[in-house]
Amino acid sequence: MSELVRISARRRRTDAAMRGLLAIATAIALVPLVLVLYYLFHKGLPAWSGNFLTTDPNGNFLGYPGGVRSAILGTLEIIGLATAIAVPLGIGVALYLTEYGKDAKFASVVRYFVDVMTGVPSIVFGLFIYIVLVLGNVGGSGYAAWKGSIAVSLLMLPIVIRSSEVVLLLVPASLREAALALGAPRWRVVVRVVLPTSLSGLVTGALLAVARGAGETAPLLFTAFGAQVLTGNINGPMNALPLQIYQDIQQARTDLNTRAWGAALTLVLMILILYVIARAASRRSRII
Amino acid sequence: MQANVTAAGSGGRSLFERSPLHRLPDRVLQWGLSGLAAFVLILIAYFFVRLIGQSSTAFSHIGVFDYFFRNNWDVAQLQQGGACARGAGPCTLGALALVLGTLITSAIALVIGVPIAVASALYVTELCPRRVRAPLALLVDLLAAVPSVVYGLWGVFVLIPHLKGFQQSLANTFSFLPFVAGQVAGPSYFIGGLILAIMILPIVSAIAREVIATVPQEHKEAALALGATRWEMIRTAVLPYSRAGITGGAMLGLGRAIGETIAVVLVIGNSPTLAHSIFQQGYTLAAVIANEFGEAAATPVYRSALFAAGLALFVLTLFVNIIARRFVVSGDRGRRRAAADVFAPEVVAGTE
Amino acid sequence: MTKEMTVGTPRIFALAAVLTASLAVAACGSSNSSSSSGASSSGAGAGSSSSSGGSGTINGAGSTLAAPIYQQWGSTLSKQGLVVNYQATGSGAGVAALQSGTVDFAGSDPPMKPSEITAAKGPVAMFPIAFGAITVSYHVSGLSPGLKLDGPTIANIFLGKIKTWNDPAIKALNPGVNLPSTAITVVHRSDSSGTTKGFTTFLSDYSPAWTAAAGPPDKIVKWPLGTGAKGNAGVAAAIQQTSGSIGYLDQAYALQNHFEYATVKNKAGKYVVPTLPATSAAAVGISIPSNLAISTVNSSNPAAYPIVSQTFLIVYKDMCKEGVSKSTAGLVKKFITYGLGPGQAVEKQLSYAPLPATILAKDQAQLQALTCNGSPLS
Repeated sequence: MSELVRISARRRRTDAAMRGLLAIATAIALVPLVLVLYYLFHKGLPAWSGNFLTTDPNGNFLGYPGGVRSAILGTLEIIGLATAIAVPLGIGVALYLTEYGKDAKFASVVRYFVDVMTGVPSIVFGLFIYIVLVLGNVGGSGYAAWKGSIAVSLLMLPIVIRSSEVVLLLVPASLREAALALGAPRWRVVVRVVLPTSLSGLVTGALLAVARGAGETAPLLFTAFGAQVLTGNINGPMNALPLQIYQDIQQARTDLNTRAWGAALTLVLMILILYVIARAASRRSRII
Repeated sequence: MQANVTAAGSGGRSLFERSPLHRLPDRVLQWGLSGLAAFVLILIAYFFVRLIGQSSTAFSHIGVFDYFFRNNWDVAQLQQGGACARGAGPCTLGALALVLGTLITSAIALVIGVPIAVASALYVTELCPRRVRAPLALLVDLLAAVPSVVYGLWGVFVLIPHLKGFQQSLANTFSFLPFVAGQVAGPSYFIGGLILAIMILPIVSAIAREVIATVPQEHKEAALALGATRWEMIRTAVLPYSRAGITGGAMLGLGRAIGETIAVVLVIGNSPTLAHSIFQQGYTLAAVIANEFGEAAATPVYRSALFAAGLALFVLTLFVNIIARRFVVSGDRGRRRAAADVFAPEVVAGTE
Repeated sequence: MTKEMTVGTPRIFALAAVLTASLAVAACGSSNSSSSSGASSSGAGAGSSSSSGGSGTINGAGSTLAAPIYQQWGSTLSKQGLVVNYQATGSGAGVAALQSGTVDFAGSDPPMKPSEITAAKGPVAMFPIAFGAITVSYHVSGLSPGLKLDGPTIANIFLGKIKTWNDPAIKALNPGVNLPSTAITVVHRSDSSGTTKGFTTFLSDYSPAWTAAAGPPDKIVKWPLGTGAKGNAGVAAAIQQTSGSIGYLDQAYALQNHFEYATVKNKAGKYVVPTLPATSAAAVGISIPSNLAISTVNSSNPAAYPIVSQTFLIVYKDMCKEGVSKSTAGLVKKFITYGLGPGQAVEKQLSYAPLPATILAKDQAQLQALTCNGSPLS
């Protein structure tokens, strides 16, 4: 090899230097992740003691400030409702785009705006819902958990649509054609062939959207608003993990700061578990 | 399956004897789904219109040009009893410091984040051993899984205290440059930009990886055949080809950085004056909404001014994303590719 | 149909179904409210209050300076069935909430301005309930507690004219004290705050340059420099996290976080440490207008700490007329009765000065004058 092409020492040096630089840059890119996880465990684990998961924040000025139970349950409720809204709607739109719209003009417009919607700041979604639902006291309440759910579902929607579209497009055309050739009407093909085939991919996409939605704070700030007590009333303010963390960061008491780390660790673990399940689901799929 | 299809479709009758109603479920499904898609479009348009409507109070009292180009975020005049707040007098609220703060932190994020993202994408696709490729890519993508408020928490209690000395030494060493010298307090534009850089890293890196992977093998082999070293091959065959796509990816990252709220509001210091140095406290459009909305809720002009900030954010990110989509290769073409990746951060990407 | 047609894996389907089902169950979760009094995130007040008999919930919002007091009172009263939901959103937001009727009572350090009263739904009754010292707290390593500062110097620090701790102006007031050369980071409130009004009233009295730069004393001013933080708690957090910082902070928070604070020169020229007696002294000899809108900042009493703020509990004179239910109005009266009675001793434990007898008597009289739709409130 070295007889065919003579590479000067200078070029060899540059090559080695640049390759080293790229490797170092990759290492630098990984440093934040390592640091964040390290501090999450280092500072968050001490918070996981005793009543952390079983008591609500109690706002005491002196003494034990309480745990984060209402925050965890609030997150589950708000995100659960948001998922129930965003996933069917998103899969429906994705089905439209893959089965009926395809390359039509209208479908391209929808696709374009869904893409653009991914980039909208989440606080703007919160403002939208505030203007439309909170200001007018729609539903008989000002701040309400269900309004927060709608704001988060707006955020999750483009993710569900895009990932579902990717998955639905991977269903082999031959499957659809075979079913159609056998005389199945269009809707049966969708319900009995397309959806079941892509199910695990759809679930994966939905789980990723849930993971994203669970971590959002800004859409909930002026919609669900936050609370301290545990409340099952979705037509009123409700607590959520990101809201609780956001408040506790801005306090001077070290036990509140520790509580913030503990809640953050809880939230990140919840999200990582969703990711792991999503990965497992996609690995089982025959398509992706 | 065979039995089902026959039974449902025709009930045993011939193809030409079915009743007209057998098409009904198909029509219902088609129109239902089209309706859903139209609903989503109409929703976006509706929100946009309402947001403009709510911002109009501020614009009529303050003036659009004055609002965006004057540096006077003096909310004292919006206090109750004041002429401006009552609507009886002129308001001279100016959000220039906020707009510039948004642009400055985003610029810092791009300057720090994009080179590292592209470099790591190059390394992962071109240089690293095959077996390490997937795990490395996964690790970089995991940065996108950390919620914004957790980055803020980490920034406040880890980054700011540990980097205060570093910021001061940077400020002292480069004090000949404009906007660098001065006292460092801790929270600053720089820390805000740094956290944003970390947050846009996974998006830019994922798009860069995809784009670099589409470089035709022949180009790379041709360069190597002509005697190029690996780096020269990257420099001459890979980078020029993927330049447009990487630019698009960087712009998507920019869009994310502009709209990021919670992580920034916790580390930027919330000072509505235009600082003299990037190592001093600042403010952004998104941060002001998060901070002051509770105050503003009862005063219409104040509330409207914050909606106007939200409108500015919306329009800015819309604009940046539209331009980015023109650059990014993974458009409709990419969708139909066989090896689709549902886990790509740009699919899951968004902003907080 | 071959094996390849097997769609997905039944296990994954089941997992997804279980996940969705559990999320749905959580979403339709059972109602399970536990009573507590406490502060929540900022904004206008909470929803409607409910009550039955001698027990129920009342909602309040406002001053973070007084928040520890209301929370402590609420904590005790919750055992008797009266739940107080107080949100420490700042005096400005509290007054706004009262004006729009989203809370039953507001906490505000400065009395409501005439313009604010006209913007409310009806005439208001302002009850002074405590006095709190606004400390000038700092977090500087190598600096002993009790640094001596006076009005003009503090104003210059907050104006940015004094930039380091070993500035000659500070040295002049503290001869012989070892001052580090650390830079000063100013911390101030970013929200509408009664504590700000008290502090800036004090600064304005000593520094025309301050008034010229930041505007007249008010709940929000134009801060020339510094980090903005939300609430007394946020200022405490910012001071704690920034070495070399200085900020104005209610004493209860300063003590809670073991901050050091300055000894400030008062009107009579004496340097006074903020202690309970010094805080109480500020309330002695002040004029008491008919609507009880007193002010204790920069008292002329030689024993008084100069930056003492009063704090008011404000309700509508006729709550029922403004939409509050009769039983809730009764609960509010019960709350204020407790506050003017056993609550005064609680204030001392939290480092607030209780009311002197003259003001207490006037408060009691005003409490009895509260009505519900014209007839006296029970």
